[in-house]
This record gives sequence, C-alpha cells and structure tokens, in this order.
Amino acid sequence: MVVSVGLLYYCIAYTGYISTLSWDGASPLQQPVGADNFTRMLQDPVFWRALGNTVAFFVVTLIVQVALGILLACLLHSQLYLRTLHKVLIFIPVVLATATTAPVFRQMYAPDGTVNGVLEVVGLGAFAQPWLSNGTAALIIIMSVQIWQSTGIVFVLYYAAIGQIDTEVLEAARLDGAGNLRIIGSIVWPGVRGTTIAIAILTAIGSLKTFDIPFLITGGGPSYATEFLGTMIYRVSVAFSQVGYGAAISVVLLVLAIGTAIIIRVSSTEREKADV
Amino acid sequence: MKFPATKRRRAIATAMAGGAVLAVALTGCGGGQAAPSDGGSATEGTINWWSWTPTNDVAKGEIAAFNEAYPDIKVIYKKVPIEDYAASLKPALASNDGPDVYTVYNSGAFGAATFAPYATDLTPAVEKMLGEDWESKVYDGGVKAFTIDDRLVAAQYAKAGAGMMWINQGMFDQYNLEPPKTLDEWVSVCKTFRANGLGCFREGMASNGFGADTLHSIMDSFKPGAFADALSGDGKWSDPTVAQSLEMLRTFSDEGILDEGSVGLQQYPDVNNDFLTGKVPMIQMGTWYQQNASLPTLTAALEGAGVPAETPKITLMPMPFPDVAGKGNPSTVFADVDAGNSVNAKSKNIKAATTFAVWLGHSEEGQQAVTNSLDSLATLNGITPQWDKIELVDPERQQPALEEVTKQLTTAKDPRSFGMDAEVSQAIVDAIQAMLISDKSGQDAANDIQAVAEAAKNR
Repeated sequence: MVVSVGLLYYCIAYTGYISTLSWDGASPLQQPVGADNFTRMLQDPVFWRALGNTVAFFVVTLIVQVALGILLACLLHSQLYLRTLHKVLIFIPVVLATATTAPVFRQMYAPDGTVNGVLEVVGLGAFAQPWLSNGTAALIIIMSVQIWQSTGIVFVLYYAAIGQIDTEVLEAARLDGAGNLRIIGSIVWPGVRGTTIAIAILTAIGSLKTFDIPFLITGGGPSYATEFLGTMIYRVSVAFSQVGYGAAISVVLLVLAIGTAIIIRVSSTEREKADV
Repeated sequence: MKFPATKRRRAIATAMAGGAVLAVALTGCGGGQAAPSDGGSATEGTINWWSWTPTNDVAKGEIAAFNEAYPDIKVIYKKVPIEDYAASLKPALASNDGPDVYTVYNSGAFGAATFAPYATDLTPAVEKMLGEDWESKVYDGGVKAFTIDDRLVAAQYAKAGAGMMWINQGMFDQYNLEPPKTLDEWVSVCKTFRANGLGCFREGMASNGFGADTLHSIMDSFKPGAFADALSGDGKWSDPTVAQSLEMLRTFSDEGILDEGSVGLQQYPDVNNDFLTGKVPMIQMGTWYQQNASLPTLTAALEGAGVPAETPKITLMPMPFPDVAGKGNPSTVFADVDAGNSVNAKSKNIKAATTFAVWLGHSEEGQQAVTNSLDSLATLNGITPQWDKIELVDPERQQPALEEVTKQLTTAKDPRSFGMDAEVSQAIVDAIQAMLISDKSGQDAANDIQAVAEAAKNR
C-alpha cells in the first residue's frame, strides 16, 4: 500500500516537476522554463483539436454504450434463446487486445478493404471510399471501435444492476399494463442510475486517456482528425523529444480527469437530493 | 485510531520496509551509475545490439560475417520497430541494463545528439583501425552527423539515399508501358493501370519522411537544391517553390497519379505490402528498398507480408523521378548517413561492443557485409556491392540499373533529412495531408511549415 501510493504520488509530483522544464528526456541538460509549457499548450491548435475530439468521443461513446448496454442487459434478462452464448459474444471484444484487432480494422477500412468490397458486392460501390483518409469518417471509426470494445463491460454492469431491481415492482408494472419501453424508461433506467453515473465517470476518464485505438488505427490523423490527448502526449514526448511539454499536457489531463469525475459525481448527487 | 504496541511496531516496520522498497525503486527509476567494470575483453563476450535497421535477416548475415573475424563475441540483435525506437531506448539507456550497442540516426528523435550523453567516444578505436587520417576514408556526412562536442559518439555503418522511384517491371511489361519521364506521361501510364483495375503511385502520407522525399523530388524538379536550401536554413519553407510543389501533390491526386486514400496509409506495412504483392506498380522509397531485388530478401519479405510462398517474385527496378515541373531539370538523388552504432558507456562489455561497432562501420569486411545485403550503401569509401555474390531476381536487367543508382548516390550532394527537426518533419506531413484532403492553398501550407521551423528554431 505504502509503495503503491508512494509511487503514484511520486510519479505525479515528478511529472509536475518535468512540466516546468525544457528537456528531451535523455539529455542531462534540463532547462527550467516555468509555466512556458502550459502557455504553449494553450496556444497550440492541436491541443484544442485533441480536446474537442475527446469531448465528442466521450459524448458519442457514452450515449451509444449506455443505450446498447442497457438494451442488451434487458434482452438477456428476458427469455432469450442461447443466453450464455450471447453473453460470451458480447463480452469477447473486451478481452481482445487492441494491438491484435487494430490491423484488422485497418484492413477493413483500407481503400481496397473489406468494407468497400462489401459495398461493391451489394451494389453500393458509389459509397466506397478511403475511410481512414476522411477525417470525420476516421473519428467515427475510432469511436465505433471503442464502442465495440467496451460495450461488453457496460452490459455486464447493467446486467448486474438490473438483477438488483425488485422483480415485484416489474411484475406490478406489467399488471398495470406497462409495455417494455415504459418499464425500461420508468423503472429500469431510474433503478440503474448509480451504475450509469459510474459508467459516465469511467467513460470520461477513459476518453481522456484514449491512446491505443487511435494510435494503432489512424496514428492521430489525417490532419489531427483523430488526435487525442494521449496520442498528442506520445507525439510530443517521443517523436519531438519534448518531454517537458508532454508532461504539461499530462498534468492537464490529470486535472481534467479528476475534475470531470468530481463534476459528474456532484451533479448526480444534487440531482438525487432534488428527486428526494 | 490507536495501534496496540505490537501492531504499532508492525505498522512502523511495514512503513519502513515500504519506504525502503520505494527508495530502491525510485533510485532504480532515476538511473544511476553503472557498476564499476574494466570493460571486459575486446575479443570475447556477449553484447546486445538494438536498432531499427537492418531487418533480422540482414543483421544475421552481418553478425555471421563479424563472427568470422571475432568468433568469441556473441552479438544478440534486437530489432525495435522504428516508431517505438526512441521510446524504448530512452528508459533502457537510463537504466544500467541497456543495450551495449545502440544504433542512432543522423538527426531527429533518435539522432546521435539526443543519445550522445550515453555514448563513449569512439575516436581512438577508429583511429586505431584506419589511422589518423581516418576521416578522409569514410563518408564525411557521417563524421559530421556523429561528431557531437568533438566526440565521435557513433561509428557510422550505413548510408541511405532517396529520390528515385521503384517500379514493378513485370506490370509495366504486361501493359507495354515505359517508365514515365514527364507529368503527362505519368498521367497516361496511370490511366492504363487504373483501366485494368490496378493502383498506380501509392504513397503512405500518414507516415513521416516518405512524403517529404516526394516533396523533395518535386521541389528539385522545379528548382534543384530548393529543398536542401530550406532544410539548411539558407532558404525558407515559405518559398514559392515549396508552395508550387505542394500544389503539384494535389495535381498528382486530381490527375489520378497518386492513389486515393494515401493520407490514411502507412508506408510500412500498407504500401510496402501492396507493392511487393503486385497490387501497385510504383512507389517511392530509398536505397534500402533495393534489397527487395535480392531473391532471398524478397522471399523473406513476402513471407513477412503473409503471402503464399509460390507468389511470383516481382522484378524491382529503379526509375528516375519524372520531370513533373516540365523545366528539363534532371531527376536528383539525395543521401545521408542512415545509421551509426554507439557504444553504451554503462556497458560491462565496452571493449567487445567497441570492437563490433567499429568493425561493422570501418572494416572492409564489415562494410562489404552491409552493402552486399543491398539494404544500405557503405560508408567506408570504395566499398560497393559484390554483384557476383548477390542473387538477384532478374540479374540481367536489375544489376546495371542498381549499379547506376549506387554510382549516382556516391556523388549525391544534397542531404535527405540531416538536420531536420522532428517538428518540421511533422509539419511537412501536415502540409501534404492538408493539400490532399482540404482546400488549403499551397502557399498557406508552405507558410505553416515555415512557422513551425521558426518556432522550433527559437525553442
């Protein structure tokens, strides 16, 4: 515990210290620059682009994952055939390493890849395009991969949360004539609010830390269309050897992650109080 | 909360033990000095060599040649992907367990200057091998790139050139096409390939460096030496020649020369695999690519690309970059020192590591092994490939063409990327991508590169 927490705070403090340096990460020469790295970051259009992409990524992946997760959890709580198989299929993407799946997605969306091949076969060849060369399409692809990979976790959380809802309440609603959508909207959704808040916090932090999917599939491009704070930190720290600047972005990422988690938690608590 | 005495003692002991472990861990993180060592023997021992180049097969051949001279030095080669190299090397060298020998580039993220503090001075060892006038016997560009603060921090061993295109001769023969020499001919050739369901000129504009080579070639077509001037600071990236050349890249795309989707492609593995498997007839790569003219190397490369062993082997041929500006300027080639081996000052086998680093770059046997692989050009003057020992796919056609490439590069004056800041390299990628997927003007894109170059210079 002492080692774990000590290392954690040491790393944070050390990163904070590095963020005040101009340093290439290897040279013994470390030049103190005060807050220059932070000033530079605020003036860097790539930083704002990365932040914008992160916000869009968070909003879209959260909404779609929550919708899919709750829908799948409800379906699998019903009398569905081969339920165990479905659960396994939904969860498998969670355990697959991005390093192994990224080349598959690159092939799928390549100019002569599977997606365009299928479009040609079904007579929609006019829609075929080099997907990863289109900034908007590339960002949507990155989001879709994240959704594909993370929905399994969201599903498991909702599946467990729905299991905690009193079945008598659900049965009473049925007897009162409530349909599936009404039950989901009026009973299930409020009943899993705590889980949704946890998922929102995890997705927000995950979005801020997003790295492997864009790094391996698009490299942050084209023209920074899929750049995130994680890929930007890697780019400036490794490719540019500007470890001080990378540390400054890391510090901001940490502050944003903690701040976002607090905001989501506080706003949900206030809403709970208001509901009471 | 109050601990009972025994529990309190246990808690204090745990905290102290934790603190001790933490201190040890942090000391480890922070680096430190290597254990004292006499450097071992110069003729025996085991050394670890890290690099992004050459391929495992080529390295195996070079190490085998080294072991003919030094059978008691075991060299363990670790090829690190180029995109991960700087990230892997930094912590390794900061620790006491880094590689004994590590390869550095002429500039950039894993340039000699970046890792110079970890390297020993190899001047005495090189002097011992080549004499006091050693500088006159090797590539001067390498001496310049690897001499940092009057210390020779890496022994150069490989030179790379670029500027030429590479074509699949079989595809050109199949459609009775000649390599294009002008923009119009290039458009016409590509029309034929596309009419037959093939790609034409494919380039991974998502990768660093390759697009810059194409821009360099176009700029030289407009005004020879313009790229070198911008690189050295004698000229500016905002020069109208840069703007014109960037606009030309858009023309390549609009006229069907450049394949669609290039900004989403990586040169490796995407473009490389497409070319080697016969999907596209032409690409732009440097001299390292001529290794695919060698039958054993091409066979290994195809295996690496995951294609069946019986796949026909392409006949790789160099092609001068067409005169796209229509000004009659000849195609140019440009070269740099591509790789040099540094010896880790913390190595416990410094002497054996030095023997290997200096032998590979400064002995005739070592340089012959390097150049016979066709992966790189020799940096020791006078060493050229021994064609009678190299098995080419189509020797009759390939050998004269490859000999000509070697000859041209021996006299190449312009650097490929020596001195280019990593941010400028990225800015060139950004500018090229902007030309291909946005309406930005060539001049605006050129101005952006200049702005980045000035900002980087002032940092």
